[in-house]
Amino acid sequence: MVNINATLIAQILNFLFLVFILAKFAFKPLCAMMDARKEKIAGDLEAADKAKADAEAVKAEYAAKLADARQEAQAIIDNARKTAQAAHDKIMADTKAEQEQVIAAAKESIALEQKKAMEQVRAQVIDLSMAVAGKIVEQKLGSEEDKALAAKLTDAALK
Amino acid sequence: MGNEAAAQAAEHSGELIHYLPTATFLGEVNMQTMYMTWISMAIVFVLFFMASRNPKMVPSGLQNVMEFFVDFLNGLMEGLLGVKGRKFMAPFIITLFMFILIANELGMLPQVGVHWTSPTNDINTCFALSLTVAGTMYVVGVIQNGFGHFKHYVSPSPAFLPLHLLDDITKPLTMALRLFGNILAGEILLIVLYQLAPWIVPEFWVMFSLFVGFLQAFIFSMLAIVSFATCFAHH
Repeated sequence: MVNINATLIAQILNFLFLVFILAKFAFKPLCAMMDARKEKIAGDLEAADKAKADAEAVKAEYAAKLADARQEAQAIIDNARKTAQAAHDKIMADTKAEQEQVIAAAKESIALEQKKAMEQVRAQVIDLSMAVAGKIVEQKLGSEEDKALAAKLTDAALK
Repeated sequence: MGNEAAAQAAEHSGELIHYLPTATFLGEVNMQTMYMTWISMAIVFVLFFMASRNPKMVPSGLQNVMEFFVDFLNGLMEGLLGVKGRKFMAPFIITLFMFILIANELGMLPQVGVHWTSPTNDINTCFALSLTVAGTMYVVGVIQNGFGHFKHYVSPSPAFLPLHLLDDITKPLTMALRLFGNILAGEILLIVLYQLAPWIVPEFWVMFSLFVGFLQAFIFSMLAIVSFATCFAHH
């Protein structure tokens, strides 16, 4: 059963022959494909990492731009608000000034009219009282002294 | 010639395993072992040839199975021999593993029509493999490191020379005997079990032997890789 013979030599030759034909016909394409796959996977992983890094950079840029835009918008709104407030204040001030001017003019006009009316009333009262007094005095008085007295008395009465 | 064959048949009639020793121009050759070796070689070649025809980037079927074995062995080799050693030794080690695996499992086939035996149940095959590994180790060592390869026999000091020489003798011896013993014992026990309990029981032994066949192929290849490690040690 344990008997060493020429089979030993034949088996060595058989094995070396098998190594030779497998190395020549089978291993090369298979190992080349396995290496190519390994490289492809490594390359794909690298590309995926790069794409991820790019996407993150774009995202960061986008966020920064968004923040800038928001800040700018806020500045525009603030500016507009300030301008509107200034316009409002100016309009209010102008209106108030105009109003005061109108009121002052009206007051002046009223005072003038009042004065004019008072003068007219005074003249008419003088004339009327003179007429009345003339009629009365026609009976008793008629001198210039009486007339002046009458005017003095009228002024006193009108005050 | 006829008388000789009859005499041989009579001589071996008491044995459970038949090797069919036949006289050839080389000397006496165990023809049963040779037939089974050729069948194993053909199976290994066809498996790899089919798998490597038009290999796909996304593997499937047979390509997937063979790539599993190749990748498994490449991983072992890369760990012990480095990338350079792996590239150099891959064809040898992959062939060694696949041949022993198929050879070990061949004897477990149902004995229908053909008398299936493992070529590795023959001590000649086992020694042929272990001596090929040992011889290749010297050749690869000299190719890789020049004759300086033999310096490691006197390291760390010349006093270790006998130990290194003993190691070189015992390594092929133990590798061959381990493989031979496991496979032959498995087959003999299977034959005995078929005679003792022909139903069910032997099937469990077949399952176990299939596992042992894989394990022995792995151990043999692993020891071969380890022995090649000295050739690529300083890389």
